[in-house]
Amino acid sequence: MVEDSNNPTTTRNVRRGPNRRQILAAGVAGAAITGFPYVSRGLAAQTLKFWQFYAPGGGVPSQDKWFEDVVKGWNASHEVKVELVYVPNNAYMDGTKLPTAFASGAGPDLFIISPGDFLRYYNGGVLLDLTPFMEQSARDDFLPSVIANRMVDGKIYGLPYEVEPMAMYYSVDAFNEVGLTEKDVPKTWEDLLSVAKKLTNQKRYGVLFETNPGYYQNFTWYPFLWEAGGDFQTKDGKSAFNTPATVSALKFWQDAINTGVAPRKPLGGGAWDSVPNLGSGYCAMQNTGIWAIAQLREGAPDFKYGVFKLPTPPGGKYLTIGGGWAFVANAKGWNPKAAGEFTAWALGSPKDGSTGRIVDWCTKAKSDMPPTRSALEAGKAAFENGFLKIFTNEIYPGARAEPRMPPPVYKAISDAIQSCQLNGQDPAQAAKAASDQIDSFLSGYKGAPIL
Amino acid sequence: MQDQTAETPRGADLEAPSIDRGPRLSNVARERIAGYLFVAPDAIGLMIFVGGPMILSLSLGFFSVSGFGEYAFVGLDNYRRMLGDPLFWRSVQVTLLYVIALVPLLYGVGLGLALLVQADTRFNGAIRTLLFMPQTVSLVVVALVWQVLVIDKIGLFNRLGASIGIGSISWLGDPRFALGTVIAISVWFLMGFYMLIFLGGLQDIPKEYYEAARIDGAGPVQSFFQITLPLLRPTSFFVLLVSTVTAVCGSQTFDLIYIMTKGGPANSTSLAIFYIYQQAFQFNEYGYAAAMASVLVVVLMAITVLMFLLTQGGRFTNE
Repeated sequence: MVEDSNNPTTTRNVRRGPNRRQILAAGVAGAAITGFPYVSRGLAAQTLKFWQFYAPGGGVPSQDKWFEDVVKGWNASHEVKVELVYVPNNAYMDGTKLPTAFASGAGPDLFIISPGDFLRYYNGGVLLDLTPFMEQSARDDFLPSVIANRMVDGKIYGLPYEVEPMAMYYSVDAFNEVGLTEKDVPKTWEDLLSVAKKLTNQKRYGVLFETNPGYYQNFTWYPFLWEAGGDFQTKDGKSAFNTPATVSALKFWQDAINTGVAPRKPLGGGAWDSVPNLGSGYCAMQNTGIWAIAQLREGAPDFKYGVFKLPTPPGGKYLTIGGGWAFVANAKGWNPKAAGEFTAWALGSPKDGSTGRIVDWCTKAKSDMPPTRSALEAGKAAFENGFLKIFTNEIYPGARAEPRMPPPVYKAISDAIQSCQLNGQDPAQAAKAASDQIDSFLSGYKGAPIL
Repeated sequence: MQDQTAETPRGADLEAPSIDRGPRLSNVARERIAGYLFVAPDAIGLMIFVGGPMILSLSLGFFSVSGFGEYAFVGLDNYRRMLGDPLFWRSVQVTLLYVIALVPLLYGVGLGLALLVQADTRFNGAIRTLLFMPQTVSLVVVALVWQVLVIDKIGLFNRLGASIGIGSISWLGDPRFALGTVIAISVWFLMGFYMLIFLGGLQDIPKEYYEAARIDGAGPVQSFFQITLPLLRPTSFFVLLVSTVTAVCGSQTFDLIYIMTKGGPANSTSLAIFYIYQQAFQFNEYGYAAAMASVLVVVLMAITVLMFLLTQGGRFTNE
């Protein structure tokens, strides 16, 4: 403290607080301290960033643990480490996180995609060819119908770890309430609407199909199109959408709404969400996927339900759709070679334990069908048990791979479904309008084959 | 330490003989510089974080952008495509309907509520808090709660309807009602904010005017139209401008649509801002989305200029 009792002026002029230099120094020190984590992170050894919506800290502990275990297993035996980066589901699926990362050249080294997004990333040139990292036997282990939509020109660009076939679920109590039994589960579209009518009352809908527009709605509608004998593309790359099959599939969903047996809005996240819809009693039958087994097990353990395969139209052949996600590696990432090696090691290398990982995912972490023959065999006991047995023996055999198509084709089909289902448009007109749009797009399309 | 005490203490130089440091700035010039310095952080921030991206976005509209680092100059192709895109025009139509309904509703409800709760009583204070409450809740929560309230058949509104013999209405699943429902929820969410703005405006009106009007025999309706409304001109301008911008491209608008309807059913709630988002982030059509966003900005600027011209920027005179 500076003080001169003989000079009051001097005493008055001495600043008791910090001076400018001290403030500046404190600021620099503060910035250094607060910035330290970033600096240290920047200096730390680089890792392969693996973006997905399961771990660390995801909502389902068993799935979180599976991802953590896979990465732990790799990191324990490899020099280049993998780091899991959790992206919330809604930010991942339809959000901006992944697209903006790639648009700015900062896409993750590893990520997961569904067939619906395959062409977007393949045509963007960021999917790494995983074929060189796999042995021939491992490549052959994947079921052709499952791996086909992750391949271009015989090369594999994504390794699936699950197959998620669509089916129909029903509430046993609701059936009993109106005097129906397991023997009454509908086998045809007509049956379905008729049973749904019996199950509909003032508080409950008979059946639920997806009504929210988006990739998922298209995904759930495709099997009905296929069952009626329709498709969206001919072998020579032209639109096959304007057919009686398309019209009948569009009309089937339209009838479900118009007759009042299906709601226009599902509860919860959508018609994929079984607990708030079937589990809560909002509907008595629900069109959803194999994952509903795990959902109901966790969210409504006392709920009694049954599963049956999708009903067919008159003269139609049973088919369903098998969705599911796959690991992919970024060809323009920090270390594509290591990313490719990790992907193959995790899911495409039985000698390194990939079969066990797939079985664990499909039977413990989730309830799914496996994409490989070896996993189907290794997990036989689980796949032949409970509801999975119905999927293994009755539903999965009719699964066709989820189509991969560019956004304009998806959008044209989505608009046709929406306008017929919810806006009363004539299915024949909607099919023609969508077909014209698809043709117009396909005539100038230059990307990988649409499957 | 002794040496330090011998030094001239800091600040003492104020009393030291002045040193000739060249011509000094006049007070006016110094004030002007100070003014610019005060404004500088905001101006620089706006230029970097708003102006820059706007210019980049405008430029992007002339390119085909892959979303993976590839850009190809396409001139006016994106703008030509816009002209022939029925979904774009549909989204413009939906946006117009949304703005035409939402802006007057927000104005009327906000002002009406402000008039009802303007008296400074404890009860009114509690009501104001309740009316403002939706603003403090996350919009995601708001959307999810409303989704359940208006759900088909078992939602609160349908149960109330059923009790008086009205059949189930799909408020968000029927194209005839979906946009109206979104508008109603938007009004519910935003009305507290605009009520607060109007309350501020009402407090600025001197009480003497009302007393004088009363002495002259004016009733409440006359007072409202002759005093309140004209003197709320600056507030009205602000409310109309902000609510229009909010309706066209506000985050509240986007969030509600994104969570509750995803633009459906059958594109009936696909506002332009949502369609732009879809094109950019779901379809990787960044160039096309940027072109549409540029058009939206130009339209908004035109509306703003028009509002300025019609209302003199909310000023009372041409000062």
